[in-house]
Amino acid sequence: MSAQPDAFTVPADPDPMSYDRKVLFVAGAGRSGTSTMAGLMKIMGLHVPQPEVEPDETNPKGFAEPAWAVEHHSRLLREAVVQVSDSRPDAWFETGRVSTREPERIRTAEWLEGHFAVNPELVVKDPRLSWFLSLWRVAAIRCGATPVFATMLRPPSEVVGSKQKYYANRLGSAHLAASWLNMLLHTERATRESVADGGRVFIRYGDLLDDWTKAVMYTGEQLGLQHILHAKSERIRDAHRFVDPGLRRVSGSLDDLGLPKRLHELVADTWTELNKLADEGGDTPEVHEALDQLREGYVELYEESEAISRSSVVAAEQKTRRGREKPGKEGAAPVEAGEPSYAADKVPHGLRAAIPPGVRRGLRKAVGRER
Amino acid sequence: MNAIRNPQGLTNLEGHTDFDITWPWNRPGGLRAGATAVLRVKDEAPSLPFVLPPLLRATDHVIVVDNGSTDGTPEVAAETAAKAGLADKLTQASYPFEVARAGAEHLGQHELSVHSLSYFYNWCFSLVQTRYSWKWDGDMVLTTEGEVSLSDLTWQIGGVQSIIRVPRHGLYLDSDSHGYLDLGLRNAEEWGYPVGPDFVFTKAFEWEIRSTPEQCRSIGLPQGLCVELKYLDGDEFAHWTDPESFATSWRNRRKRREWAVFHALKEGQLPPGVHEITAPDGVHIVDHVTKTWLPRAPRPLEVG
Repeated sequence: MSAQPDAFTVPADPDPMSYDRKVLFVAGAGRSGTSTMAGLMKIMGLHVPQPEVEPDETNPKGFAEPAWAVEHHSRLLREAVVQVSDSRPDAWFETGRVSTREPERIRTAEWLEGHFAVNPELVVKDPRLSWFLSLWRVAAIRCGATPVFATMLRPPSEVVGSKQKYYANRLGSAHLAASWLNMLLHTERATRESVADGGRVFIRYGDLLDDWTKAVMYTGEQLGLQHILHAKSERIRDAHRFVDPGLRRVSGSLDDLGLPKRLHELVADTWTELNKLADEGGDTPEVHEALDQLREGYVELYEESEAISRSSVVAAEQKTRRGREKPGKEGAAPVEAGEPSYAADKVPHGLRAAIPPGVRRGLRKAVGRER
Repeated sequence: MNAIRNPQGLTNLEGHTDFDITWPWNRPGGLRAGATAVLRVKDEAPSLPFVLPPLLRATDHVIVVDNGSTDGTPEVAAETAAKAGLADKLTQASYPFEVARAGAEHLGQHELSVHSLSYFYNWCFSLVQTRYSWKWDGDMVLTTEGEVSLSDLTWQIGGVQSIIRVPRHGLYLDSDSHGYLDLGLRNAEEWGYPVGPDFVFTKAFEWEIRSTPEQCRSIGLPQGLCVELKYLDGDEFAHWTDPESFATSWRNRRKRREWAVFHALKEGQLPPGVHEITAPDGVHIVDHVTKTWLPRAPRPLEVG
């Protein structure tokens, strides 16, 4: 008996530029390990479109976030009047609506196309990303690329707990927990298989820190990421240097948050179901159905809460309106970060009125401000 | 009396009580989350294998209501859904009454007659059990981008009361591998509607119209997401009373454009804005246009 000659042939190194175009979107709530996941992907050889957001003291190892994507998402969120941690179920339609605009689809696809020239496997991550997955999916299609998704999971008690220090009371936790629910329940819905997709994975942050090799290879195999499948030893060493199991500093239980009863139950049940998705073979229609029911439960709870608190909204609207009418007085609407402010607004109305209309128009035109 | 002013439902003039309408939001349990596509079809057997798979994938449910087909349309619908592995998302129904054709015939019918387009539409949409609906035709095929756009909006819309407009382009077929795509007309109709008492069908001059509350939100999808199949060897205008019915009003400009393009192509002429397209060997022209040609066409798509 003789062995087949092919069995002894050593294959040449694969040429990364020959890989099929693929873009990995790393989604999940902020503080859930998205930076660690995207950073690992970068070390494996996927390309984070440059330039990246600079590391800072909150994340000294870097965010692995393309700066353009962060700016792009921030602008779109402003246009949709949606906050990063928005707990309104209707906010998904607002960002979805913006995502249907042809100029945004063109802009996003063109940006992606430019980076495919560097590397056919890209990784895009930003805490705001979940709001615009439909936009990115279209952009990938237009580039002839396959979109794939990795969603990071971290216990809600830890995510909320790590942010809670900024809030002084129990209702701060409730808002953060509601935002987490809204984000995760809809991110799961947004990443369910569509005709264009190449798959999705859910990765527990704890699993990633505990044994990143297992989590990363699972991601590579499930999503067909060639850079992971063919990663060389030095990249694996770099990844070991990069992952710090001590990163997971905050712990605690859901009970510590003191959430309202129904919200507590929804958060606990959602976390149970999401956890199933992270098990191999756990992404099943039964889990989807359970999550659909939880999403409906959350929408119902939110609508009820919104109806009950209508007086607060009306009072806030009146306060804002009054603040606009009397600038500088208590209750004046604060200028949002990133919103333009104008020196002319600081000039008393009486003085502004004394300027001839023609001159006022000329000044407005000069600073590019419409009436 | 008309559909708008009947809060419980509709009773038809002919006394066919088994086809009286109970508004779905009045049924026990009310409406559930999600979106349903509703197709009223007659002899659409050749088109449904292209129409249904993307629509079944993109929406929570699809209702096909047959109105007197003689070409096996219901069987083809069932086979197509089964082949796609999505039979559980398809519901079929049959509406046995002859429905007035668009134009003069429609204008002559009272909207509470079972023969009225308005009544027919209200009956079809009374079968919907979700909070959002897509009015769809049995010859409208989504492109890949159209499918993912509709799929995402289907869950994003939630309880938001907004209409969604979908542009579509005529795809005139003269064989399995050759056709003509009409990008010469910019046309987007309102296809997505919330389900509820503010959004019922009533009567317009040539066809039905869906009521809306004042200052209703409306968004439009980009061009190039949907084609409407037209068969050059078929009778594409059978659902109209006669060509005179769309000869004059601005409202009927799309139909006039279709009439002009259809007859020009039959005579071997290529009208301005119409692209002649040949599919590669082994690929059907509809698949080629919806999965390759349109998705990869330069944006913004030049239309109109």
